Amino acid sequence: MIEACADIVGNVWKITARVGDQVAKGDTVAVLESMKMEIPVVAPAGGHVSGILVELNQIVQEGDALVEIDPTASA
Amino acid sequence: MTQLDATQHQVDTAADDLDPADHQRQVLTQHRAARFARIEPKGKRVHTARERAELLFDEDTFVEMTPLRTAGTRPDGTPTGSGVVAGWGLVDGRPVVAICHDAAVASGAIGAVMADAIQAAQRFAIDRGYPIVYVNDSGGARVPDGIFALHGCGGIFALNVLAQQKIPQISLILGPCAGAAAYSPALTDWTIMVKGQGQMFLTGPDIVKAATGEDASAEDIGGSQVHTVTSGVAHLEVETEDEAFESTRLLLSFLPSRKGGRQTVQGAVPANPGAVERLPQIVPEKSSVVFDMNAVLDGVLDNGARLELMPEHAPSILTLFGRLDGRPVGVVANQPAARGGILDSKASVKLARFVEFCGRFDLPVLTFVDVPGFLPGTVEEGRGVITHGAKVLKAYVETTSPKLTVVVRKAFGGAYIAMGSASLGAHVTWAWSGSEIAVMGPGGAVALLNRRELAAADDPERLRTELAATYREEVARPYLAAEAGIVDDVIHPEETRDRMVRALRMLTAGESA
Repeated sequence: MIEACADIVGNVWKITARVGDQVAKGDTVAVLESMKMEIPVVAPAGGHVSGILVELNQIVQEGDALVEIDPTASA
Repeated sequence: MTQLDATQHQVDTAADDLDPADHQRQVLTQHRAARFARIEPKGKRVHTARERAELLFDEDTFVEMTPLRTAGTRPDGTPTGSGVVAGWGLVDGRPVVAICHDAAVASGAIGAVMADAIQAAQRFAIDRGYPIVYVNDSGGARVPDGIFALHGCGGIFALNVLAQQKIPQISLILGPCAGAAAYSPALTDWTIMVKGQGQMFLTGPDIVKAATGEDASAEDIGGSQVHTVTSGVAHLEVETEDEAFESTRLLLSFLPSRKGGRQTVQGAVPANPGAVERLPQIVPEKSSVVFDMNAVLDGVLDNGARLELMPEHAPSILTLFGRLDGRPVGVVANQPAARGGILDSKASVKLARFVEFCGRFDLPVLTFVDVPGFLPGTVEEGRGVITHGAKVLKAYVETTSPKLTVVVRKAFGGAYIAMGSASLGAHVTWAWSGSEIAVMGPGGAVALLNRRELAAADDPERLRTELAATYREEVARPYLAAEAGIVDDVIHPEETRDRMVRALRMLTAGESA
């Protein structure tokens, strides 16, 4: 299991992935709001989304996991 | 090799001859044979220390210094060698000194004799004004040599530091490098590691385990991922030894041989025409949306070789060498596509180090700005962002080479000052016509300045948007900075290259005069 993590402290502004979605490496799975910027959180590898670990408007720290991805289920 | 065989043959046929000259020839041949026979690649290594030197240099230009020097003899009477292959040769026709640890001799451990041989090569390079490439592959100080090994290693460090003000120094990490073999690279300018093959650490896994109980592999402690992504100790990760030598040659192509030496100016190459055409459309309409700053650089720099250093470490700042109008330049840019292009502790250290290097070797610094600010908060303050941010200010102020700065989209607060502003001594500065320069962004400023009005408003969101628009027009627009003379001019994106080329020609005109 791999995780898409925040690379900056910020507010969870959008969660674009849903459980069961197929994602490719580099796909945006969520968007953080930090420093008045929309900062994408991307999938570090392809697979299917197996869990959403945060809620909208939650404050996350650098390194916190936002979305869980199962790489073995990659299409 | 054929030459050696032929000489051997002559010696054999002349064995009965008692001519003293022939005897001397025979001894020399034996010494040389022993010298070449003992060097073999070990472990994952593909090349011997000598082959590495030959790979770095232009073909057939490497000359080894003191090749017969030895620290001792093996039980069979053959010399062990000094443990290092040091010498000079040409890189693109320019003299360079290489110092290659010989991992086939006691794992490249640095004893008293080896340290002395290294220092001799360092002094030669410093005196002549030639860059040094260190090919590191050593377990550190040689234990049986005791205090003599430590004294020798300290002497290497001292010359590393002395050389900083004279010549470029590049370190390659081609094997496990512990202790002294990891510290010397840290005193040089740029460090390149081969993935899965090179490691740098104060102590290896066994001593780590014994000292603290931590169970970690050599790769976990000091592999190229650790140092090129997390720690920033090394500046480039490559896949193979050959690629490491290629990158070194490319890096040297941007650098003068010595401080105050001639810049490696080539014929000017126009920017990529497609990229120039796209320049006006690169910055997204909505100021919060990210974009790739490389697209801006493509539309400004010469369309030729570039070398980005530290691409994986603190990626919100780009640091790279390229060319403008054929002249080598150091390029610094915020990268909005990574962490919004912010400045933080790591990005500041990366940026300051790069600018300081450019200043030391008279390389012009081109700064492309789109910075939302320094990242605030407990984590960054705890990391000492004030101290690290101050290094950026110091580096720009102290750099006397041409400094050209363009604000591409936004420059707010302390980060505006830090990113090569006119106040820190930029020679010419521009702002793109759609850019914003202010103490803080419109959102933050309105919240601070209009707190009471917003609290009393029937529709605070609408008022906030209106106030932000007014602020953007009245306070943050780049014309205010230009009218005050704080930026030289407001320009269209597609004018950037021409403006920078003209400024650079003006600022470097004294060189040839």
